[in-house]
Amino acid sequence: MILLDNVSKRYRSDRGFSKLVLSDVNISIPSTSNVGLIGKNGAGKSTLLRLIAGADTPTQGKVIRACRVSWPLGLAGGLIGNLTGRQNARFVCRINGVDAYEMGEKLQFVQDFSELDEMFDFPISTYSTGMAARLKFALSLVFDYDVYLSDELVSVGDVAFQDKSRKAFKDKLGRAGLIMVAHSEKTLKDYCSAGIFIHEGHAHWFDSIDDAFHAYKETLPK
Amino acid sequence: MLKQRSPWQVTWSVWQALFIREAVGRLYHRRAAWAWLLFEPMVHIGFLMFIFSVLSVRVIGGIESAIWIMVGMLGFFTFRRTMSISMGAVAMAKPLFTYRQVKPVDAVLVRAVMEGLLMLFISILILLLSALFDYKVWPDQPLLVLESYFLLWLLGLGIGMMLSVPRELIKETEDIVNLVMTPVYFLSGVLVSVNVIPMPYRNLVIVNPVSHVIDALRFGFARDYQVFEELSLVYPLMVGLAALFLGLAMHRVFSHRLTQQ
Repeated sequence: MILLDNVSKRYRSDRGFSKLVLSDVNISIPSTSNVGLIGKNGAGKSTLLRLIAGADTPTQGKVIRACRVSWPLGLAGGLIGNLTGRQNARFVCRINGVDAYEMGEKLQFVQDFSELDEMFDFPISTYSTGMAARLKFALSLVFDYDVYLSDELVSVGDVAFQDKSRKAFKDKLGRAGLIMVAHSEKTLKDYCSAGIFIHEGHAHWFDSIDDAFHAYKETLPK
Repeated sequence: MLKQRSPWQVTWSVWQALFIREAVGRLYHRRAAWAWLLFEPMVHIGFLMFIFSVLSVRVIGGIESAIWIMVGMLGFFTFRRTMSISMGAVAMAKPLFTYRQVKPVDAVLVRAVMEGLLMLFISILILLLSALFDYKVWPDQPLLVLESYFLLWLLGLGIGMMLSVPRELIKETEDIVNLVMTPVYFLSGVLVSVNVIPMPYRNLVIVNPVSHVIDALRFGFARDYQVFEELSLVYPLMVGLAALFLGLAMHRVFSHRLTQQ
């Protein structure tokens, strides 16, 4: 169960405070549900995801994680450019408490799944966007979380890799929940059953993703 | 399978991971990075020893000028490197704040420890090298040397910890620190002995906690060395601890703004 208790968020910059990106969000997300976050660009979907992940803290209110939650699996951040893929993978394993006995097996899995082969031992700065995404995807599959958070990290790599990763991810999701941000409606409907619609700083829960999309489309200019 | 870990276990594994990452980064991030670590202080020291020998300064405060320069320089570098490395630690660790386990303060602590160990290793190496040239580098009071070394590191960590927060939040911090560091260098008794500075200016040097520790460090190496009479090791300890706790408090208050993107 993930509980958001009166969560508000605004950002701060050289030009002062932004308006409230999220205001008084009260939602509880069962750890077994597959939820898609829906809203227009800049509505606060990624912000909400980062708050749930604990990568950012709310301006007001509390986020309570009563289960194991992944980091926000996304295209941006999380890898160190001047270290190799293997060193990065080791780092992520270490902070997640993988001990020396399991390390070799985990690294082998990441290398095999990401199909990086000898590039696994090259610095991240030499990787293409797709290669880095494949590495991140493989890394996320190493751990058994209760809830996965995905920010646009579902369809990476070529067609063959997409097929493989969809299968592996669905397999994980059989035993875990998912909270997902994605731009394509098809992807969201494919993975999620419930939806959270974010509109003007407020978050609305829908048991069915179709209803959430329906509510979203109501707000669009005709 | 992931086990539920205690906060302390999580922090410990983060420190381990950061430490190893930092060691790899420092020693291999560019060609022969480890050689440059050693090279920089050696060139500084060598240059100053050359100048002093041209000026025919053989003895300072009752000890050989070479030892005086070497020990003072290594001591000051320990302080300055630890300070600037800790200060910049938050920016270096930015991509890692995606993982909620990693806090900005972890990065500062780990980098400071890494730098302290590196400088200890480099200092020992340089002293051993000069022992080959028949300089008397074996300390008379090893415990005092270790204590002074620790104090210099603590001052570096404390001030670096304190500055690491404003460095991220106020852009001009780094420029101001760079501006201030040059006078601090001249007012640390590294290049000019405190004892030869006349009175109103002498007070300026004595306010600087680093100058106390550097003179104590030299005294630790050679018992004959004439330290300045106001020397106190409690003063730098107090400054170091006060700065460290102020810095930790700032991290406590502003940590959420440091991790923000």
